[in-house]
Amino acid sequence: MDALMTWLEAQLADNSIFTLQTFGYYGEGLTTTVQLVFLSLVIGLVAAVPLAIGRGSKRPWVKWPIFAYTYVFRGTPLLVQLYLIYYGVVFVEGIQETWLWVILEKPFVPALIAFTLNTAAYTTEIFHGAIQATPRGEIEAARAYGMSRRLMLRRIVLPSAFRRALPAYGNEVIFMLHASAIASVVTIMDLTGAARFVYARYYAPFEAFLFVAAIYLCLTFAILYFFRWLERRLLAHLKPASG
Amino acid sequence: MADTPIPLEVRNIKKRFGDTEVLKGLSLAAHKGDVITLIGASGSGKSTFLRCMNLLEQPDEGELIVHGETVRFKQTKHGREPADWKQVVRMRAKLSMVFQSFNLWAHMTLLENVIEAPVHVLGKPKKEAIEQARALLDRVGLSERADAYPAQMSGGQQQRGAIARALAMDPEVMLFDEPTSALDPELVGDVLKVMRDLAKEGRTMIVVTHEMAFARDVSSQVIYLHQGVIEEAGAPADVLGNPRSERLKQFLAPKH
Amino acid sequence: MIDLHGYGPRLAEGALVTIELAVLSLALAIVLGLITASAKMSRSWLAHRIGTLYTTIIRGVPDLVLMMLMFFGGQIGINMFTDWLYYQFDIDIFINVNEFVAGVITIGLIFGAYMGETFRGAFLAVDSGQIEAGRAYGMSQWLVFRRIRFPQMMRHAIPGLSNNWMVLLKTTALVSVIGLSDMVRVASEASKATREPFTFMLIVAVIYLLIASVSEWGFARLQKRYNVGYREAD
Repeated sequence: MDALMTWLEAQLADNSIFTLQTFGYYGEGLTTTVQLVFLSLVIGLVAAVPLAIGRGSKRPWVKWPIFAYTYVFRGTPLLVQLYLIYYGVVFVEGIQETWLWVILEKPFVPALIAFTLNTAAYTTEIFHGAIQATPRGEIEAARAYGMSRRLMLRRIVLPSAFRRALPAYGNEVIFMLHASAIASVVTIMDLTGAARFVYARYYAPFEAFLFVAAIYLCLTFAILYFFRWLERRLLAHLKPASG
Repeated sequence: MADTPIPLEVRNIKKRFGDTEVLKGLSLAAHKGDVITLIGASGSGKSTFLRCMNLLEQPDEGELIVHGETVRFKQTKHGREPADWKQVVRMRAKLSMVFQSFNLWAHMTLLENVIEAPVHVLGKPKKEAIEQARALLDRVGLSERADAYPAQMSGGQQQRGAIARALAMDPEVMLFDEPTSALDPELVGDVLKVMRDLAKEGRTMIVVTHEMAFARDVSSQVIYLHQGVIEEAGAPADVLGNPRSERLKQFLAPKH
Repeated sequence: MIDLHGYGPRLAEGALVTIELAVLSLALAIVLGLITASAKMSRSWLAHRIGTLYTTIIRGVPDLVLMMLMFFGGQIGINMFTDWLYYQFDIDIFINVNEFVAGVITIGLIFGAYMGETFRGAFLAVDSGQIEAGRAYGMSQWLVFRRIRFPQMMRHAIPGLSNNWMVLLKTTALVSVIGLSDMVRVASEASKATREPFTFMLIVAVIYLLIASVSEWGFARLQKRYNVGYREAD
């Protein structure tokens, strides 16, 4: 480790921008970005499953509110949603006197709320589409074999829908990673925030932004390959035998 | 034998889609060991009739008695519905259906398909279900394909697999909805052979089919449907060998 | 009535900026998309490689980062170029990167990559027999493209096109971050000044939904036109 550090320092000796300190900013930015994206994706995913089921309900008072939610959150820019929640929280009368302020004071929480609501809306629609695409015959077979609605949902509809939703959900994960760059707008030091800081400090836009672009590119590819691997494993059943 | 309830009896089933009445009061009783074939032109209502028997279609009128238990209905604003869905679930578990398009669950292997309902609907221990499933797959000649997914099997294999899945429920009655219609001609034979064997061992079966040879050789009763009415019914030798109505004669005439 | 604290006219101007930006970017994106699609389908190894590199990089990097690179880096790049002109040829010019132009170029460049994929898929979806039939009747390559390939391709391209437009529309909000006065920027300033974020942000959200709904309707009509002769997709 020490050897690596000395080597790195030697490499960076003539370089005024990429100092260890700068790398530190990027490193912290990476951590923040990953935390923000991962947390919002996980919470959004968990929320999206019941929402997607409700979205396909026959009952109008269940179906329509969910549809309205996904329509609004998918139809407006994430930046507007972020501003709404961030400013909304900051400007709510008297909130600064309550205990809530301790968590809401940092922009991380409003950003997490905005991102979660956004990805949950998209994921709901992805799952809803996948559930709707369940072959009718498979549902009929489940009914004919005496499965109750619940059992059918749990054993037949959802497992097959999750698999079908996988490619679209992979895109959503990449989309969230990229969308998370706007966290820097509300002063969060995520990856993009770090790049903006480095840019402002050294007035070196190419170095600052190209470097961060390369990191995002690597993350994107990592996600892409992870999902391809997952698809190969979970979608094997759709491929014909020969091959 | 008088105290053993009849496996399946339906009385005066009526069904309409919109303004057209497709089933105009049909009755049928399947005693133990009966093989009843339903024949008729497409649009005669034979598949709808079969689907009414396990309530995949809701009959607008009529009675349904499964193993002595009468299914209860109630009237709602959407029409007649079963009063107690738990009862329907219980009843369906006694009537396994084999579909025209197989309808194996695509995300499960063949073995998983076969044990699915026994484990999760009947509550059978998994180990026992797997043992039984392996034996059944062996019977239909698919023991080597237990771990294949439906998409990896031919239509004939899928249909034999679907029959194994139906058998795993240990059903009172097996319902076959045109089981060979979606198959290539060279694959039909294997499936029919499995069905003949089932008939021979005394399974109660109701079969919608276009296979006249099967109807003639295997069934104990043939029912000819025309426009939602039972036009002729009886032993295959009578109905197929000596048709009375002009329509049935035409239906049975060799096509060119 | 909703009290806009005098921000009404500026908000309207901002909405206009958003629409102009979106429409011009879309036009650029369609042109770039068609070029990219042909590059990726071309037999030339180099064109194929460049097309693939372009779409891969653009789709792997956040829009905001690309926008900042283009906007902050673009000015420096151009300054470097004009400096070079001055020292080499004694030509003294000054080009100022206007936020609006930077916005259009960046968004157009980003969505050109997505459009490229859409068009490529659509071109490949056209039955090759249709094109052969055109050739068999003595149509020139260009005539085949104009009369057969393009109209048939559009049928397949419109769903993707519509989808890209919806995403593009929302992406325009990012220009507010680099200082362009679109409606999000105006609403953000107004929110801070009046401490009434809900009023302004909700108005902006409603305008976005309105534009989206109108375009959804428009695309549905367009789809109908190009679907002539085909059964409605069910």
